[in-house]
Amino acid sequence: MELTVLHLFPDFMSLYGEYANVAVLRRYLERMGVSVTLRAVSCDDPPDFGGTDLIYMGAGTERKLKTALEKLLPHGDSLKAAAARGALVLFTGNAMTALGASVTDAGGKVWPGLGLADFTTVESDKRTPEDVIAAPVLWDAPAVGFMNKCSVTHGVSTPLFGRLLLGFGNEAERGAEGYVSENVFGTHITGPALVKNPDFLDFIVRRLFQQKGRAYAGPPPALPHQREAYEITLQELKARAGN
Amino acid sequence: MRMFLAIIICKILRFIGKLAGKGSSLPGKYALKICPDVLRRVKLPQYIIAVTGSNGKTSTVEMIAAILRKSGKTVVYNQEGSNQIEGVTTLVLCSSTPGGKMKADVLLLESDERYARLSFQWFHPTHFVITNLYRDQLTRNGHPEWVYDAILPAIHDNSTLVLNADDPLVSCFADGHERVRWFGLDRCSISTEEHCGVYHDGTLCPVCGGRMEYSCYHYGHIGHYRCAGCGHHRHEPDFAVTALDLDGGRLTLDGETEISLAFRSIYNVYNILAAWSVCSLAGVDRGTMASVINNYILKNGRMVQFRLGGHHGTLLTSKHENSVAYDTNLGYIASAREPCKVLVIVDAISRKYFTGETSWLWDIDFSQLNREQVKQIVLCGKYVHDLAMRFDYTGIPAERIVCYDAVAQAAGALAEDGGNEELYVVTCFSDRDKLLSLVRREED
Repeated sequence: MELTVLHLFPDFMSLYGEYANVAVLRRYLERMGVSVTLRAVSCDDPPDFGGTDLIYMGAGTERKLKTALEKLLPHGDSLKAAAARGALVLFTGNAMTALGASVTDAGGKVWPGLGLADFTTVESDKRTPEDVIAAPVLWDAPAVGFMNKCSVTHGVSTPLFGRLLLGFGNEAERGAEGYVSENVFGTHITGPALVKNPDFLDFIVRRLFQQKGRAYAGPPPALPHQREAYEITLQELKARAGN
Repeated sequence: MRMFLAIIICKILRFIGKLAGKGSSLPGKYALKICPDVLRRVKLPQYIIAVTGSNGKTSTVEMIAAILRKSGKTVVYNQEGSNQIEGVTTLVLCSSTPGGKMKADVLLLESDERYARLSFQWFHPTHFVITNLYRDQLTRNGHPEWVYDAILPAIHDNSTLVLNADDPLVSCFADGHERVRWFGLDRCSISTEEHCGVYHDGTLCPVCGGRMEYSCYHYGHIGHYRCAGCGHHRHEPDFAVTALDLDGGRLTLDGETEISLAFRSIYNVYNILAAWSVCSLAGVDRGTMASVINNYILKNGRMVQFRLGGHHGTLLTSKHENSVAYDTNLGYIASAREPCKVLVIVDAISRKYFTGETSWLWDIDFSQLNREQVKQIVLCGKYVHDLAMRFDYTGIPAERIVCYDAVAQAAGALAEDGGNEELYVVTCFSDRDKLLSLVRREED
């Protein structure tokens, strides 16, 4: 099996080490015998979504998110077409907010979003950086990580995480978080979410197999240290959350 | 009267606090309750120098103080790193007469980049040094542009900004500001054509979002840059390191003053240059400055020598959540020629607050340790598995890496391994005592 991963703007939308999500996904797939082609779209390139199986974008500063939006908007229709034909779209950190209808910045300016979802986001000059434990809707094991956000997202009816045991959700402390619809996934968890969460990684890989119409033969041998790192972080954060 | 009372109460509380071994923020807090605008009322000295930025504040401030004192000036500065408004208030009032006059020629402040605006709403620095803006403690700071936005309201029109010309984000502070002096590093032996490091925060112009072009890089996003779109560019520095031999430990300031480096890091070079620049502006002559900073050994104890088993050890204090600090120390180790071992400890990410955030490990260029002379890399601490996973993506052969959960286990194994290579330890203030309590320290 061959897969093509498109990484949008790793040169300026990788503020919290998000490039590692792509690196670890690739390693995991290759352990399953999948041949992975990685295409990076840099700030000078027009994105070409043709033939892609996964389209990924990580977090940036609020200004760089707007730069990314400006660069992607002219290609919004082809991104939607890629999603419609089955490519997975995974946007993490504040890149998630780009999937929606609009992003209003702290100065009140409204930036049109890519329109893959109806939700809207309002940024402010208050930040809520917090550790996160999130209860997924589509898989079992809680996700751990960190959110470094200064925005509130309204109008998500299908969150990726039903509630947070720790952290600030789309609209509220410990509220529902992220977005999922068919093969479009968004979470404001910043940083290497797929590195920190072996089950999130495995879930994405299962969905890639499903989109390709291939049977999933079960997870490959765990990536060294990933499960142990996850367990320790979960334990630490649970103690913090008082659970 | 309120000012008088605030000063007296502050002095008394500070005296009691010192006896009880308490920090310096509480007296200032009470003084501010008694007289909220006390910092505006006190008569401050002729020079008020503030230093802010992501890295190098403490070291730069220490060197500035040493130079100014050598030149005969009395300097009051927040040596204890209490750099928020309460701590600054304590510092100022405890150094003032009951009538409200500060007894010093220079008030020197290491200023927290996020809280500078709170202190400087009552008074403003005559000279405001901004060293750099990097990814630093992002769990608290958000990101460098967020910090930029936090510093901006702290800048007063009458302050002379002393800016790092080589940092494109720091350079933005000069926009619309009249009094600006620049410091920078000329193209030199360490400059590269290509960007080095895991991430590049200078890809886009901070002014217009266009692509930034660099004629050379010194490290990270620090270098000589110009935006093809809006023209935002590096300014010609007023104070410069005009020649640098990092391996040989020598540099030249402003074309004629040669000094030796006690610590051969690019970091140290910029800290020295920042101190040199602002002390020049405060009227100190070159000879005096050179005599102090030549071979200057920092007292803030970030480098510690010790023995562990057959190993001589050097502990390089980095800061967790600060990839530039790590990268600088890793570069230092990579430049060593003799066989060595390296111990990396990540146990408590911060000593001040809780977080389980480890994404910053992915911003550190650990592949610098992929060298023949680095015989073994020992990883340990609570987050050893996060570390080990990060190392899986460095290209360093797995057989060179050993992991332990506890610092004591790692130290025990190194003590008994029969080796006599140099041992470099890279960790943070939050974790270093866990090792230092197990080794035999050598006197500085």
